[in-house]
Amino acid sequence: MTTYIIQRLFIFFPMLLVISFLVYSGLELSPGDAVSHMISPELASTITAEQLDAMREAYGLNQSFLTRYWIWLTSMVQGDMGYSMAGGVAISEIMVKTVPATLELSMVALFFSTILGCSLGVISALKRGSGTDNSLTVAGMAGVSIPEFFFGLVAILLFAIELKWLPVGGRLLPHYETLWDRIPNIVLPSLVLALMMTAGAMRYARSSMLDVLAREFITTARSKGMPEWRVNILHGFRVALTPVVVLIGFRLPLLIGGSTIIEQVYQWPGIGSMFIRSVRASDYPLVMTISLMYVFVVLTASLIIDVLTALIDPRVRLGKE
Amino acid sequence: MAKSSLDKKFDQIRKREEEKTFSTKKRSRIVNKFLNNRLAVLGLIIFTIIILASIFAPLLSPYDPMRVDLRSMRQPPSLDHWFGTDSTGRDVFTRVLFGGRVSIFIGLGSAILSAVVGIAVGCYAGYKGGWIDVIALRISEIFMSFPQIILVLLLVSITGQSLFNLMAIFILTGWGGMYRLARARMLSLREEEYVQALRSFGLSTFTICYKHMLPNALSPIMVNITLSTAMFILTEAGLSFLGLGVPLNIPTWGNILNVAQDILILQNYWWMWGPVGIVISVFVLCVNFIGDGLRDSTDPSQQG
Repeated sequence: MTTYIIQRLFIFFPMLLVISFLVYSGLELSPGDAVSHMISPELASTITAEQLDAMREAYGLNQSFLTRYWIWLTSMVQGDMGYSMAGGVAISEIMVKTVPATLELSMVALFFSTILGCSLGVISALKRGSGTDNSLTVAGMAGVSIPEFFFGLVAILLFAIELKWLPVGGRLLPHYETLWDRIPNIVLPSLVLALMMTAGAMRYARSSMLDVLAREFITTARSKGMPEWRVNILHGFRVALTPVVVLIGFRLPLLIGGSTIIEQVYQWPGIGSMFIRSVRASDYPLVMTISLMYVFVVLTASLIIDVLTALIDPRVRLGKE
Repeated sequence: MAKSSLDKKFDQIRKREEEKTFSTKKRSRIVNKFLNNRLAVLGLIIFTIIILASIFAPLLSPYDPMRVDLRSMRQPPSLDHWFGTDSTGRDVFTRVLFGGRVSIFIGLGSAILSAVVGIAVGCYAGYKGGWIDVIALRISEIFMSFPQIILVLLLVSITGQSLFNLMAIFILTGWGGMYRLARARMLSLREEEYVQALRSFGLSTFTICYKHMLPNALSPIMVNITLSTAMFILTEAGLSFLGLGVPLNIPTWGNILNVAQDILILQNYWWMWGPVGIVISVFVLCVNFIGDGLRDSTDPSQQG
């Protein structure tokens, strides 16, 4: 087991390094450098080439590409993420502000979608072939077909504008409101996000439950005269949900993707809407840091999942592709 | 009585055998199975209608999707303007039809092209193995370490916005999944006896993997192409909604929805964004139905 984890770590770090290099050089290739983005269009006509060069020198942009990459990498490892080009705010400061908001939204959505998805999937499996099963399957497909932002917009129109039950968007900061005041703001975005993600969980739970129900120990339990609900809940449900829980980790990229657009729709001040803003403004340091952070999260999650699956299921072949 | 009907059956079978229609029997079973799936057929019908409507858009609508008409600004749906008009007086129905052309082209085109790339690499690498396979696998792993939308946004910020760039980005982000699928199929087919027989005949690697093995790996790939078409259309809509997809002057489904970011339009002019949102959802749903039907009819292990 230890050798397996070490092997995985041997892939993990080079992977991260290669990706950071690719992202850094990709942004290097994009049109214009940091200086040309800092100058407002009105100034651009009056500024001289010498002034531009002086600025480049002041920011260290005249150094070679590899040197700059090395400087950036070493300071990144030491925890210095650099500064955003918009207003020169430290990126670490932006992260501290936005990451909790995104975590809050994602965790609530993950919680609801897992509970809803697992229970609907199990119901669907138990009533296999029935009207309930078929309509749940179709509803699940509709769930993955409707663009999440469109669903979010309809929800805003309905619950925030027409019925006025909930706020249109935004997030209240933790320090000046009580928890109770903050709940209405998170209801719409988290529910929309959760509903969009339920379909996937439902499909996994359904097929996993069907798989388990066909096994022999279920027949044994039935033949012992156990009531049907006990067979389903104690034997079927418990065994079926273990892989589903592991699969939640696989859905992390989906969660990140979904939350990015939903955050934008609901003006939720999280990392996703910050990323979109930085892409729009060509704020390259911020774009780079945030996307690498996502890569780090995804790679870590898949590492943890691989180790967990190996722990749960001894049949997983260790160390071989 | 019974004997004569049995004779008739035998006659039919003999006749069919003589006409050599037996060779198509396997295909027709798949088609039959697909046609028995009501949702898949419904999906195929609506899918065809939407595609035809987009192709023949100039015949179906008297308006120009780009022409600004300030006298008929923000009109609600009427007989003249089925989906109303937008803030610059352009007919929304016409824009949805013309937008469909671009959106479907992007979705279908990117899915097919990324499949071509993924299959070309996956077949060869999966069959041959060795260093090509290792390198291709690592490259696809790099692409898969990003959440899809994040990678697309990152590449948009590197390359800038244009229709061509967006398709290139979609292909770049989409080939990995297709590659892995083709590779996995090839790895299992490689051990089959007919492949070993072909190899012992001394056929070239290209002939074996693209001409003899690929057709046997095609059905899961077809399913995957439909599903990634759906995904690309949704991603394009999302990106254009954010204003980061196709440049705003080209009508696409996402670009039409873009106006809904304005809360006033969201509240007061539902026809500018509602119908197009429904069209996207219905179209993607149909594509998913088709994909599901294809999977059920081609893959015997996916029953129930």
